[in-house]
Amino acid sequence: MKNRKARLLALTAAVIFSGSLVAEGVRTPSMLANTCAGCHGTLGASAGDLMPIIGGMEKEFLQMILLEYKTGERDSTIMGRIAKGYSDAELKAIAAFMADQEWVSSPVKTDSKMVAIGQKIHDKQCKTCHEDNGRVQEDEAPRLAGQWPEYTMYYLEWCHSKGKRCQPRKMGKRVMKLSKEELKAMAEFYASEK
Amino acid sequence: MAMFTRRKFVKAAGACTALGALASINACTASTPKQASGGGKGRVIVIGGGYGGAIAAKYIKLADADIDVTLIEKDKKYVSCPLSNEVLGGDRNIDSLTFGYDTLKNKRGINVVQDEIVAIDPDKHSVKGKSGKQYDYDKLVVSPGVDFRYDKIDGYDAQAAEKIPHAWKAGPQTVTLRKQLEAMKDGGVCYIAAPPNPFRCPPGPYERAAQIAHYFKMHKPKSKVIILDAKDKFSKQGLFMQGYKKFYGDMVEWVSGAGGGIIEAVDANSRTLVGEVEEYKGDVVNLIPPQKAGKIAQIAGLADDSGWCPVNQKTFESKLHKDVYVIGDACIAGKMPKSGYAANSQGKVCAAAIVAALNGQEPGEPSYVNTCYSIISPEWGISVAAVYQLVDGKIVGVKGAGGLSPMDATAATRAIEAKFARSWFKNVAADMFT
Repeated sequence: MKNRKARLLALTAAVIFSGSLVAEGVRTPSMLANTCAGCHGTLGASAGDLMPIIGGMEKEFLQMILLEYKTGERDSTIMGRIAKGYSDAELKAIAAFMADQEWVSSPVKTDSKMVAIGQKIHDKQCKTCHEDNGRVQEDEAPRLAGQWPEYTMYYLEWCHSKGKRCQPRKMGKRVMKLSKEELKAMAEFYASEK
Repeated sequence: MAMFTRRKFVKAAGACTALGALASINACTASTPKQASGGGKGRVIVIGGGYGGAIAAKYIKLADADIDVTLIEKDKKYVSCPLSNEVLGGDRNIDSLTFGYDTLKNKRGINVVQDEIVAIDPDKHSVKGKSGKQYDYDKLVVSPGVDFRYDKIDGYDAQAAEKIPHAWKAGPQTVTLRKQLEAMKDGGVCYIAAPPNPFRCPPGPYERAAQIAHYFKMHKPKSKVIILDAKDKFSKQGLFMQGYKKFYGDMVEWVSGAGGGIIEAVDANSRTLVGEVEEYKGDVVNLIPPQKAGKIAQIAGLADDSGWCPVNQKTFESKLHKDVYVIGDACIAGKMPKSGYAANSQGKVCAAAIVAALNGQEPGEPSYVNTCYSIISPEWGISVAAVYQLVDGKIVGVKGAGGLSPMDATAATRAIEAKFARSWFKNVAADMFT
């Protein structure tokens, strides 16, 4: 985790120092970020199911993820192809624009039994980083409360398959021990917390 | 922008009151001077409420609520072309592709008017509807989609297309084509005649072949789908051919233009397509004709000899008429394909340019994206994406970005891409209509 943050700081510095190299036509944050809405919903408030809500997510987290997509450090089906189309400064502008938007929780209905199972797992091993049932965003912990469960499940399954190689490592180690049903319960629990 | 004299204003306001009893309030607002329309910064009219037009209208309002925006659409409801091949495959109902304009009206403050624009007067800055009403604008956005060049295929016209539907505008013809597939006997042949470039949705005919094969495989396994192509290559070709082979074996066949796929004539009654060399008699025939910019663009002189509309690719303002902007399938947009996502992206660039102009500013530097999914089998999706920028006045792809799904992706990745396709649709539809 420290490494990830250090890398991000280095990238930030690189962006600042290369600022003078930006082409003459600077594209505004809204011009850049509105191109995301076709998949992620207007102002990042995703309409479902597998597209994560990104509007209102913390700036530094979004920045880190976008830069990781660009370098290929983070697996993706399509985000890598898209992130490569922007300069680092532009990706940071997109992250900042999305972070400024209001978080709109998914309206999905959840299964109370599954939610209860998920809550137990959360209380036992997730809440130190994902505080207030996944509402607090700090130290690279993204908002989970109100996220579309299909997306959370997709992410958790990916992390599960990566095991210890899932970043951050302490999360990978925990997630890899959970069953598919338990992962589903986690996704349901976070979706229920609006 | 001319100032209205007091007398002119009173006259206009009077006409509005008198008309009020007969005409809808929206139409009245649209033809009212901007000083009285609650706007103040200008009046924008958008013709066509689809992937381009609905977005342009909404994003102008999002950026500047003081601009008066009127969206004029000829139909009460919009039916999405993207994902309509799933209706043919049987996995989707056409209702799931059908949207109304209430939220744009009530939540976004857009005047939505149902009328068909039949004339544009760029000098007077006004458009005329089939209803007889006139609507005045400061800036006009035209997003009419495509029209068909029936004249390129002997024996084909709008009437014949009711019998052998092109279904290249989603709606009743999509349903007709689905019914014909359902009524077809097992062992039958469905021909899809794919049009020459450029046309709406380059991967569309090939996804359609896959979706029809998906239906045949489950219900009519002795049947065939044969694509008769006007071209010698097509979008995502390698990925489609790989998918056909994997799921449908030799049920799907592709005949290139050079191999005899070019269709010159049709006999709708006997469902026979006439090629340069051979004739093809099908049990179901889906003839997708060559295309050009939508009708109103042709009438209004917005298209050039190519049949498409030349625009300033930074703003989408027409090169032929000032203060008129053309977006979506109808315009010539550099390297961007004629796709729903491209129209969405162009709608936003155009909206930003109009907002800047009405605020006395220069247009900003544009950014555009296209993402396009195709569903070959319910759990097998593929995609192409591109990020674009403006270089020397032309829209070009950013080098090193974008591209196709890899040929060697795992089944799990393909399954996720099929899910992404459906989630994309939910979001792009929400971007348009909510």
